[in-house]
Amino acid sequence: MTGWAVEAAGVEKRYGGVTALKGVDLRIPEGAIHGLIGPNGAGKSTLFDILCGITKPSGGRVSVLGMDVAALPAHHVARRGVGRTFQRTATFRDATVRENLLFASYGRMRHSVLQRMARARAWREDMAAFETRADAVLETCGLAPLSDQPAAALAYGTQRRLAVAVMLMNDPKILFLDEPVAGMNDAETAEFIALVRDIARGRTIVIVEHDMAAIGALCSEVLVMVDGAQVVSDTPERALAHPDVVAAYLGTDADD
Amino acid sequence: MTDITTGAPAGRARGGSASLKGAGLLALGIAAALAAGFGLGGDPFLLNLAGYTCGFAIFALSVNVMLGGLGEVPLGHCMFYGIGAYAPAMAMNHAGLPYEAGAVIGMVVAALIAAPIGWLTLHLTGAYFSIVSWGLSGVAMVTALNLDVTGGPLGLFGFSRLAVGPFDLSRPQTYFFVAAAILLAVLVVLYHIRGSRFGRAMEAIRQGPHLARSLGIDVFRERLKALVLSAPIAALAGALSLPYTQIVTPEVMSVLRTVDALLAALIGGVGLIFGPAVGAVIFTILPQFLDLDPNVKVLVFSLLIILVMVAAPGGLHQLWKAAAARLSHARREDAP
Repeated sequence: MTGWAVEAAGVEKRYGGVTALKGVDLRIPEGAIHGLIGPNGAGKSTLFDILCGITKPSGGRVSVLGMDVAALPAHHVARRGVGRTFQRTATFRDATVRENLLFASYGRMRHSVLQRMARARAWREDMAAFETRADAVLETCGLAPLSDQPAAALAYGTQRRLAVAVMLMNDPKILFLDEPVAGMNDAETAEFIALVRDIARGRTIVIVEHDMAAIGALCSEVLVMVDGAQVVSDTPERALAHPDVVAAYLGTDADD
Repeated sequence: MTDITTGAPAGRARGGSASLKGAGLLALGIAAALAAGFGLGGDPFLLNLAGYTCGFAIFALSVNVMLGGLGEVPLGHCMFYGIGAYAPAMAMNHAGLPYEAGAVIGMVVAALIAAPIGWLTLHLTGAYFSIVSWGLSGVAMVTALNLDVTGGPLGLFGFSRLAVGPFDLSRPQTYFFVAAAILLAVLVVLYHIRGSRFGRAMEAIRQGPHLARSLGIDVFRERLKALVLSAPIAALAGALSLPYTQIVTPEVMSVLRTVDALLAALIGGVGLIFGPAVGAVIFTILPQFLDLDPNVKVLVFSLLIILVMVAAPGGLHQLWKAAAARLSHARREDAP
C-alpha cells in the first residue's frame, strides 16, 4: 500500500463520440473524507463508476486500494474492500432492514446449501458472525429499533442510512457515497453527517454531493469537475471560492 | 414478507420458530399426501391425475426458481421438462434401461444443456431473456419432431415397466405416493436453498442487481447457477409425467406447458416456497371437478389470473395473510 487509497492519472472515458472524462487526475490519501463536486453532467458519476470498477475507462491509470480496478470485474472490486451507495436503488426494497443486512453478508459467508440443510458448523458460524456484525452495524446506523421494518416503509433519510449499513456489513476500506444527503431535510442531513464522521474511522470515504454545507462539514479536500475535466482540487472553502468554480456554478455562458 | 431469514443460530428465537414452522409445514404436507392417497383410494383415475399433478407441481416449482427467485420469465423451461420426459422413454425403448436410470440421465442432460444455454442467454434480462429462451425451446421441439430416436411426430410409447425400485408406478396409488414424496423432497431442498447463502444471493439479485454486484455478488454466475439448478428439477417433473401420459410427443415441449406452470406459480404465489405447488393443485384439480372443456378452461384461468393479479398480486396466499392480519388487528382492538 502506498498511503494513497485512490491514485488516478489521466482518466478518460468516451462513449462513442462523446467524451465524458477528459483526463482526470485524482489522489486521495488513506483515511481521508474526500469530496467530488461539479454541476450536473460534469462526469462525477462516470468517474465514480470507474473507481468502483463498474465502468471501464477508455484511457489513463486507476488504482484503488492498490488494485487496477479497470482490469477487474465489479464484484471482485467489491469483494476487496470497495463499497458504494447509489443515488436511487440504494436498498433491497422488498426486504426488511435485517434481511438487507443478510443479503449484504454474502461475501462474509462460506456455507453451502448442503451445510445449510444439515445445520452444519459452517452455517452456524456464518449465522452467528452475521448476528454479531448486524447488531453492531444496526447500532452504529441508528437502525436497531427498525430491524424488522420493510425497507420500502422507511423514511427517506432512514433508507439512506440503511444503504450505508448495507455497505458497512462488508467493512469496506473505502466507501463511495453517491449524493447521500440529496432530498434530506436539515435534521436528516445533520444526522447523516454525524454518521459519516463516525464510520470514517479506519476507512476512506469519497462523496459526490451537491449539498455544499455537507461537503464543507465533512471533507478535507474536494475535487471540482466541470465538463469532464478537473478544475481545482483544494479545501472546500478555497475550492468554492476559485473563480473558475464560481463561473461554472453560476454560469457565464447562457448557451451551455 | 417471505421467510428468507430462516435460520439464526440455535438458541435464537427467530431461527427456532422458522425451522419449527418449516417442520410443521412438512408434516402438514405429508398428512395431506397421505389423506389424498388413501382418500382417493377407490378411484384410479383421480389417483393417476393426483400423481401427475405432483409432477406438474414440481415443474411449477422449477419455473418459480427463475420467476420468484430471479424475477425472470423462463418461457423455454418446457424444453427441460421435455428432456426429462424423453430421456426415460428413449432409455427404455432404445437402450433397454430401466425407467429410473432414464430419469436420472434426463436430469443430468438437462443440467448439462442448461449450462451453455444459460451462458448464452442469461446476459439478457426481462422480455429479451424470455423470448430467446422460448425460441430455444422451439428449436428443441422441432428437433424432437424430426429425429428418429424421439419417434418423430408420433413420439414414443409402449413403455416396458414404469417403476422406481420396488414401487410399480403403473399402480395409481403407488404412482401418487412416489410423486408426492418426490414433490415434498423437492420442497425441502428448495426451502433450504432459499435460506442458504446462494438463495439469498438470488433474492438480492432479483431485488437489486446493481446493489448485489456492489456487495461482491457475481450476478451472472448466480443467475447461471439458478438455471442449472432448476433444469434438472424440470426434467424430474417431465419424467414423472410418463405414468400418467403413457406417451411422449414433441408437444411435451410446447410453450403452453411453461405458461401453465407460470400461471400455477402466479396463482399460488411466487414469493412462497410452496406457493407454486398449491397453484399447481388448483390448476389441475379444479378443471377436473368442474368438468371444464379445455377451451373454457383457458377462459376460466385467464379470468382467475386477472382476478388474482388485481386482488392479490403476490398470489392467493396474500388474501389469507390479509385476512389473518385483519383478524389479529380486530382482536387487538377488542382487548381493553
